Amino acid sequence: MAVLSLDHVSYTYGEGTPFEIKALDDVSLTVREGSVTGIIGHTGSGKSTMVQLFNGLERPMQGRVLLDGQDIWTEPKKMREIRFRVGLVMQYPEYQLFEETVGADIAFGPRNIGLDEEEVARRVAEAATLVGLPKDLLDRSPFELSGGEKRRAAIAGIMAMKPEILVLDEPAAGLDPRGRDIILNAIRSYGKHTGATVIIVSHSMEDMAAYCDDIVVMAHAKVALSGTRDEVFANAEALTAVGLDVPQITRLALLLRARGVDIPDGIYTVEAATRALRKLFGKGRTV
Amino acid sequence: MKNIAFGQYYPARSPLHTMDARMKVVLSVLYIVAAFLCKSAPAYAALLASAVVLLLLSRIPPRIVLRSLRPLFFIMIFTALLNLFFSGGTTVLFSFWRITVYVEGVYSAVFMLVRIVVLIFGTSIFLTYTTTPIELTDAIESLLSPLRILKLPVHEFAMMMSIALRFIPTLMEETSKIMNAQKARGVDFSSGGLIKRAKALVPILIPLIVSSFRRADELAMAMECRCYRGGKGRTKMTVPKLSVLDFVALAFMVAFGGTLLYLNGFRFGL
Repeated sequence: MAVLSLDHVSYTYGEGTPFEIKALDDVSLTVREGSVTGIIGHTGSGKSTMVQLFNGLERPMQGRVLLDGQDIWTEPKKMREIRFRVGLVMQYPEYQLFEETVGADIAFGPRNIGLDEEEVARRVAEAATLVGLPKDLLDRSPFELSGGEKRRAAIAGIMAMKPEILVLDEPAAGLDPRGRDIILNAIRSYGKHTGATVIIVSHSMEDMAAYCDDIVVMAHAKVALSGTRDEVFANAEALTAVGLDVPQITRLALLLRARGVDIPDGIYTVEAATRALRKLFGKGRTV
Repeated sequence: MKNIAFGQYYPARSPLHTMDARMKVVLSVLYIVAAFLCKSAPAYAALLASAVVLLLLSRIPPRIVLRSLRPLFFIMIFTALLNLFFSGGTTVLFSFWRITVYVEGVYSAVFMLVRIVVLIFGTSIFLTYTTTPIELTDAIESLLSPLRILKLPVHEFAMMMSIALRFIPTLMEETSKIMNAQKARGVDFSSGGLIKRAKALVPILIPLIVSSFRRADELAMAMECRCYRGGKGRTKMTVPKLSVLDFVALAFMVAFGGTLLYLNGFRFGL
């Protein structure tokens, strides 16, 4: 497995024109191996630029992008291999589907790696199961699927390449709550299944809290805050300072504690809150 | 996003920005005619001077306008070289091996270069940099409106044009997104033979075409929802009006054309 890190990276759009925008400003960070790391921030905080640096789609203007300590730009000709190791699912990936059948589309990446047909078929089946696409859908045209199914097919296309680091830019954007849960669960189980590092970019604090081990908070082209989920959410003031907030359910738990209710730290999901409250009531305490 | 200056409107406060777009279309046609009227060195000098005056009047940074020349750089050099080596003449400047360069060749190369630069400068300053695409299509619709008598769908034509202009940047952005997505899946655009490279375009073109149709569909739906029914009975929010400024500009342009004709009389060099 591999460790991905940024070393003093800066990136500016339209440098030297009146429309110059600084997307990343001297950003350094290391993604913990095997973790599910969430990158969170408002629109324009530099998240999407950052993910395109991870697999060499954009070249940093200053600084280095390191994979296992190696600068990925030392040999630009080998960038293709880097892209197989760092799989990137772009925003709205369903618009990249093009093959005649869903199965062939998922197989596109693995075929580009140069795997034999047997291995390709195995990986397609595996990835389809992982994202919960039924077998009979694989022979259909990708354009006949529903929006959520298309999204899952596109994500399966990257998972089938078995990247050591899977990067997803807003994988749940525009989906209904059920579709969102299916996709985020599939992503987490990919990480568990293969031991790969998973990086999810999102602006939803709720999703990040429920699915990530580590969280990086971006604001104004810089890393505002980073650390484990507990460390980041313990710093509610810093989050508020950059216009973000802890998840609503965490806020509720904090408010309850302020009023003297004996509720534990680290409540990030409704389920965890329910469990904690049940335990309290089970003990016979009154609130 | 990709640093392409494609017919970019540059907002500024200048007489050229406030002029009626219809007059700017007429003036740019006249300016093209003027550029082709030139026959002598003084006339070309005047033409070049007029381009500089236009640039100053428009209050657009020269750097921005110069950028519009960049894509045509190769054609300009090529035309100049053709003129330099292949125009006949009487006065030999120098010759070596089988190539003879005449003084006339040098003149016509320089003239041709000036003409191309001025044509690009003139039309881009009049039309793209100081006129928004909406103003431009409205102007074209208005100028072509006499053709309605011949039952030509002038409004529809103008609408198609403005939609096409509107979607150029959108499609460019979409193309680069899809290219990135497919690169992430290991598509290689830069190696292999011709057939392999052409094949690498399939994963770009299919999603692009699909999404263009989707966008067209959505746009048509949105237009229908707002009861769009073509040009019949449609009124405009802002009705353009010709002002004194426009007629002054027209007068200047005509006078400029006359001056060029006068300067053609002075034989200098050629």
